[in-house]
Amino acid sequence: MADQSSLWDRREVDPEPVADATTPVRPSPRILRVTDLNRRVRSLLDADAILADVWVEGEVSQPSFPPSGHCFFTLKDANSQVRAALFREELTRARMRPTHGMNVIIHGRVRAYEPQGVYQLYVDTITAAGAGDLHAQYEALRKELAAAGLFEDGRKRPIPRWPRRIGVVTSPVGAVWRDITNVMRRRYPLVELVLSPTVVQGATAAPAIVRALERLYAQPDLDTIILARGGGSLEDLWSFNDERVVRAVAGAPVPIIVGVGHESDVTLADFAADLRAPTPSAAAELAAPDATQLATVVARLRDRATSALLGRAAERRRFVDAERRALAGLAPDIDAARQRTSDLLDRGARAMNERLARRRALAESAHATLRTLSPTATLERGYAVALTVDRRILRDAGDVATGEPLQVIVARGRVETRVERTSTDGSEELLS
Amino acid sequence: MIDNAELEALSDEQLSERPFDELVVALQQMVQRLEGGSIGLEESIRLYKHGLRLHAACETRLREAELTITELGRRGVTGAEPDT
Repeated sequence: MADQSSLWDRREVDPEPVADATTPVRPSPRILRVTDLNRRVRSLLDADAILADVWVEGEVSQPSFPPSGHCFFTLKDANSQVRAALFREELTRARMRPTHGMNVIIHGRVRAYEPQGVYQLYVDTITAAGAGDLHAQYEALRKELAAAGLFEDGRKRPIPRWPRRIGVVTSPVGAVWRDITNVMRRRYPLVELVLSPTVVQGATAAPAIVRALERLYAQPDLDTIILARGGGSLEDLWSFNDERVVRAVAGAPVPIIVGVGHESDVTLADFAADLRAPTPSAAAELAAPDATQLATVVARLRDRATSALLGRAAERRRFVDAERRALAGLAPDIDAARQRTSDLLDRGARAMNERLARRRALAESAHATLRTLSPTATLERGYAVALTVDRRILRDAGDVATGEPLQVIVARGRVETRVERTSTDGSEELLS
Repeated sequence: MIDNAELEALSDEQLSERPFDELVVALQQMVQRLEGGSIGLEESIRLYKHGLRLHAACETRLREAELTITELGRRGVTGAEPDT
């Protein structure tokens, strides 16, 4: 009794103190209903984080497939066993069907099934352990395809900047296609979307995706292709790790964008794509420019044109001005010429005057000289000139004979005379 | 390379029916030529007028654009079937 009261927290059960004469202060034991017990066990299990997300390896025993479409089996190893439930949806998605004795790796959560008071594994992913787990398969294929060169950066093509037709491979129902059309309508309604519908989960998904891709590859004039799928479990996304799908993606004739699941989901198809988008909506955004920004881009182009033209006009004006100035420099300067001419005239006049003055002075001095040298001046001083009959100036008395006529010229007039006698002396007498 | 001479010959209406990317590239080329500088003033003015028309056509395209959706495997596999 004491154990029970410590085991079951009294705060969570109805406090109903029962009067007891012998032990008045002791709490009475709680009698639980089975339902309450199972509910409590279930809530304990549900609260456990590890049990909510667990991988278990074991052997399938006696699977049953009731008409509901679900599958129930026991998973066991040498020492223990646990019941497992694989519901119809997960079973459809699983790439295998559990059979008795098969070794499997299971992912799921542990919960209590209240009606039967049992706990069991609710399976969401099941793979045959013999074939290796999903991660090992993924790694093996990734290495193989990488070695084949499918993931090389050199293969990646740029996404066309101005697409006119974009092909889309996805499920025609559900949020992904709606998101893609919404993004396109908002960002770049100039484009045509070509949907190639496909299922994107379950065992048939991989070949269906490949067919949908190939239908698009046959389309003319596609600029870009988007391959998209919404989020889901590892198993949900598994077809995007299928070798057929990865190779089909790598073989796309035009650039292909893959957007599968959420940011953290990276499939092999992502590696093979020309561009990996974290989500389907992001794939749509990466596939086309934003037309709301295009209006700005276009307006900016127009403004550039305007300023280029205005600049060209201003440049022309500057050029014309410069030309005009250059021409003005070349034109004859009348004023300057006039000035220069006038200067020249002045200088000429001045020079001429100077020259004239000099001439005059020269002439006057010459005149004075001449005057002093002229016989008239000499005659004025009292000298006389005697001329013979043959009009020679007489300088030697011996040159004339007695009785010969002489003409004596004096300062004023002349004297006709005859030689009475001659003598060779006499000139000294004049000077003495 | 866009043939701007060919685009210049089009009417405004014809111009706004051309693919948007073609219009933008033509506009870019026109701006680059204008900015390039080796053309005369008259040619610049002519180019500028053409650029204004290109710009108007771009705006018309952006304003009137409606997303076209085609679904393969249904009626009109290659035709443009409006989304319903």
